[in-house]
Amino acid sequence: MERYTAVRMIGAGALMTTAALILAGCGQGFDGDSGGGATDSGDLTSSDDALTIMIGSSGEAETAAVEDAVAAWSEDSGLDAEVVAATNLSQELAQGFAAGSPPDLFYLSTDQLAGFVDNGSVRAYGDLLDNKDDFYPSLVANFTIDDEFVCAPKDFSTLALIINTTLWADAGLTDADVPTTWDELATVAQTLTTDGRVGLAFGAEYQRVGAFMAEAGGRLVDEAGTEAVADSSENVEALTYVKDHLADGSFAFAADIGAGWGGEAFGKQQAAMVIEGNWITGGLSADYPDVEYTVAELPEGPAGQGTLQFTNCWGMAADSPNQEGALDLVEYLTSTEQQLAFSDAFGPMPSIESAAADWEEANPEFAPFLAGSAYAIGIPTNVGIAEVITDFNAQLESLATGDPQQILQSVQSNLEAVVGG
Amino acid sequence: MTTTASAPRRGGSSAGIRRGEGLAGWLFTLPIIVILGLFLFIPVLMALWVSFSDWSGRGSPLSSNVSFVGGENYAAITSGGGLAERNFGIALRNNAWYVLLVVPLQTALSLFLAVLVNRAVLRGRGFFRTAFYFPSVTSSVAITVLWLFLFSTTGVINEALSWIGINGPNWFNDPRGILHIALGAGGGSGPEALTSSGFLGITWWEWLAGPSVALTALIFMAVFTTSGTFMLLFLAALQNIGVELNEAAMMDGANAWQRFWLITLPQLRPTLFTVLTLGLIGCWQVFDQIYTGTQGAPGKTTITPAYLSYTSAFTDQQWGIGAAISFILFLIIIVFTIFQRWALRERAVSRRRRRPYQQAVAAAEARKVGAS
Amino acid sequence: MTTTTALTQEAVLDGPPAPPPPRRRMPPARIVAQVLLYLLLIVIAVIYIFPFLVQVATSFKTDTEATSDPVSLIPSTITFAAYERLFTRSDFPLWFANSAVVTVLVTLGRVFFVSLAGYALARLRFRGRGVVFAMVVAVMAVPSVVLLIPKFLVLNQLGLYNSYAGMIIPLLVDAAGVFIMKNFFESIPPSVEEQARIDGAGTFRIFWSIVLPMARPALVTIVILSFQGSWNELSHFIVSTQSPELTTLTKGVAGLASGQLSQGNQYPLKLAAAAIMTIPVAVMFFIFQKRIMNTTEGAVKG
Repeated sequence: MERYTAVRMIGAGALMTTAALILAGCGQGFDGDSGGGATDSGDLTSSDDALTIMIGSSGEAETAAVEDAVAAWSEDSGLDAEVVAATNLSQELAQGFAAGSPPDLFYLSTDQLAGFVDNGSVRAYGDLLDNKDDFYPSLVANFTIDDEFVCAPKDFSTLALIINTTLWADAGLTDADVPTTWDELATVAQTLTTDGRVGLAFGAEYQRVGAFMAEAGGRLVDEAGTEAVADSSENVEALTYVKDHLADGSFAFAADIGAGWGGEAFGKQQAAMVIEGNWITGGLSADYPDVEYTVAELPEGPAGQGTLQFTNCWGMAADSPNQEGALDLVEYLTSTEQQLAFSDAFGPMPSIESAAADWEEANPEFAPFLAGSAYAIGIPTNVGIAEVITDFNAQLESLATGDPQQILQSVQSNLEAVVGG
Repeated sequence: MTTTASAPRRGGSSAGIRRGEGLAGWLFTLPIIVILGLFLFIPVLMALWVSFSDWSGRGSPLSSNVSFVGGENYAAITSGGGLAERNFGIALRNNAWYVLLVVPLQTALSLFLAVLVNRAVLRGRGFFRTAFYFPSVTSSVAITVLWLFLFSTTGVINEALSWIGINGPNWFNDPRGILHIALGAGGGSGPEALTSSGFLGITWWEWLAGPSVALTALIFMAVFTTSGTFMLLFLAALQNIGVELNEAAMMDGANAWQRFWLITLPQLRPTLFTVLTLGLIGCWQVFDQIYTGTQGAPGKTTITPAYLSYTSAFTDQQWGIGAAISFILFLIIIVFTIFQRWALRERAVSRRRRRPYQQAVAAAEARKVGAS
Repeated sequence: MTTTTALTQEAVLDGPPAPPPPRRRMPPARIVAQVLLYLLLIVIAVIYIFPFLVQVATSFKTDTEATSDPVSLIPSTITFAAYERLFTRSDFPLWFANSAVVTVLVTLGRVFFVSLAGYALARLRFRGRGVVFAMVVAVMAVPSVVLLIPKFLVLNQLGLYNSYAGMIIPLLVDAAGVFIMKNFFESIPPSVEEQARIDGAGTFRIFWSIVLPMARPALVTIVILSFQGSWNELSHFIVSTQSPELTTLTKGVAGLASGQLSQGNQYPLKLAAAAIMTIPVAVMFFIFQKRIMNTTEGAVKG
């Protein structure tokens, strides 16, 4: 390039940079770039704007139930509201926050909570709720950051053992054979394993395998959330147990037998038992109504009973123009009758204590789920935990040929970078 | 690049015409300047800034709250020792194997198809060209959906394999590297020397795992969809090759293989260069297929740097890291292109090797003169 | 390949090479080679075509049959359930409409802007022409993956995020298209334009009424390329929109295939969606195939 043209290029570059800086000035930036902490200063915003509710649905049953509830509220309150079922909830949320146009209300999981609170995307409103004292304390604790109750738990679920009663009876097993220890589980799974069908199936993820870890007495992060304890001998024991039975064919990961998740494997009778949470009840009744099943508590491991607890909350966007309306909607959606209706439609348990008795009465066969809540541990809530769990899950997929000690050690080092600080 | 000088204009209106031309020139190119500048130039500058800043994803990245952090993001990816580095290492490894396998395979296959189609009779040629080129026309989303079906556990491929007695793997759910499988290592740990150290957070043993079975399915898909386009490029070049050299070589008793290797192939050099460049650039940017098909699963063996850049920013809200990854990828592509250009450059052929070629050309010329 | 030696010997025995003799009598070995060639070509062509046949066939099967008998091209029970679900219980028609709107607008816009710019770069002398051209070349070198995050940021800043404008405007210009038009304009003789200029026509008039009609072949190429490009575009739509009303076919079908809404193996549904999505480009392809294939071939000379 001759010098003349080079000078021209520099000139053009200067022009571009100037334009960029001008853009910065007149750009549609957003005020409210608060640093850390959920924005809670001042009152809630209020307007007549329609609300957008984004959910990460487990299936048509859940989407329909939420849409019905929101429509009913809409009629009552006179405010328009729209439900959007996300294809990829975390991505769509992050994109919405970055663009400044997030949904007003959305499902917020425990592992995403800290990250969004950290960059000021969510509005803490827990203390403003009328029914804030009604929520289970353990759930409130899950959604409290820096002593601030951020969002209302919308429901919760625990993992339990789902058993196909027809296949159970066909294999000659009875009620007395429902496993209560790991050895019994192994035996029963072995008995139920036949050609083309596996005894026990579950997803290849911490959100399922973690139940075994809990039963062995191990966890990812200690109760205070300040220390990473992933590479404990208890966890190794749990993973070794799972690995041994993956190897002998009585356990299997859902993906390895061609199913998208445990519920599908169960519904298609590719597995006689699965470890799943409450949501499986809605999925089964919608997609596989002919499969007969019963729910049992997970068996005890070396350290006693253990299971995992999952809960999401209704997150409220700090950038929402109509937070008062959103708050009203949340109170409606977490009311007793609404939560019971949701439970009916797709299975999870109400997050308020006052509804527990009604729920048990309505769903006696699902009592083991509720019983699990007494000893369940939740997913850790530290910032950045989601990525660590994703990586853990990726390694779990090759557990059958992998080394539990090595896997847990890598998780430990990842956790240490995230926890404690 | 410059147009031919036009005949000198007559009349006094020349100055007026030229001025109008200048203005028209700017006006005509204004749309593309604005759009390219706004949506390509400036964004790159903005992303460069984000990669050097700590923008957290809310509000404008150009606001006063966002501060300059130097090479922190780049350091986190290349040497931080945490998940960011490991993820980047995994993504690089996956994409490197992908490039290593796809580029030679697609080049060879498209050349092979071009040679075959070139020898076919004129009428049949059109049909075969269409058949081989059609997959390139479809969208990557549509093809990925189709591929997920073909390679599912109970899909067409496994069914076909079962006819010849092979038990096909659970393609898109199998994270084992094919090199590891070939060496009989499955997924267990390898020799001490290779597992004790590594690069970018991945042990050497894992680097040498080869593409996973899932990635291999995607490799097949890439070859399937791009071979048609490159076949057309080769076809055009083949049809431009003069026949005299070939005939001369035939006289001298060279068989088809020798003729292909020593005469046809060297003349295809420019096309080969184009195909390799396009292939390299395309392969290092795999995104659509991962987004639609596997989202990095199984076991993160189908994550590519492009997809990682996207997820770091849009899902994990680590915009600085996402931007940094994309610029490192840019660098990688540039390096590869330059390297490939250097490797395929026209080198001065040694005199000794030149002689037979010159003799053949001279002989062909002589025959032509003699025959006319 | 022994046939070539046979041919060589024949040529030698017959004396100095004459113009290629009419192929009246083919040695048997040669026929065998031709047959083998065609066989090979046909087998490979079948491998290339078969997946699409399977795709269409499966879209008419039931879910269970799709998994139990994936290879058969004729479903044992032909059912339209997948199509019904696709058109009545998902937003597929909306996606199709969105894709159509965006594609048509982008194609029209591109044809206009790209030919304008190509003409200016080829014919008009104006200061800074070199810089503009260098910019176009530089842009072609930037891989699109680098632009994912940045485009999102800029669309946000400009307030174009989540709107049709944001989807269409960035796609309106394509550096490769400018190249093609510029090369084309440089290849036509300037005499007609010169004449018009002397007659007093303005630059735009010359461009619009004289040069553009001559450029029909290149314009058709641009139409095809931009139709294909914008119909099949995915990453741009991911970063430029978020609301379900603006979802295009690519984004929607990708969500069908991978998102949380894709529970279960609903293969007929997904394949039906993919098949319908391919139809417009396929139609375009079959109509214009000669031109498409010649363009790609021409790229090698360009």
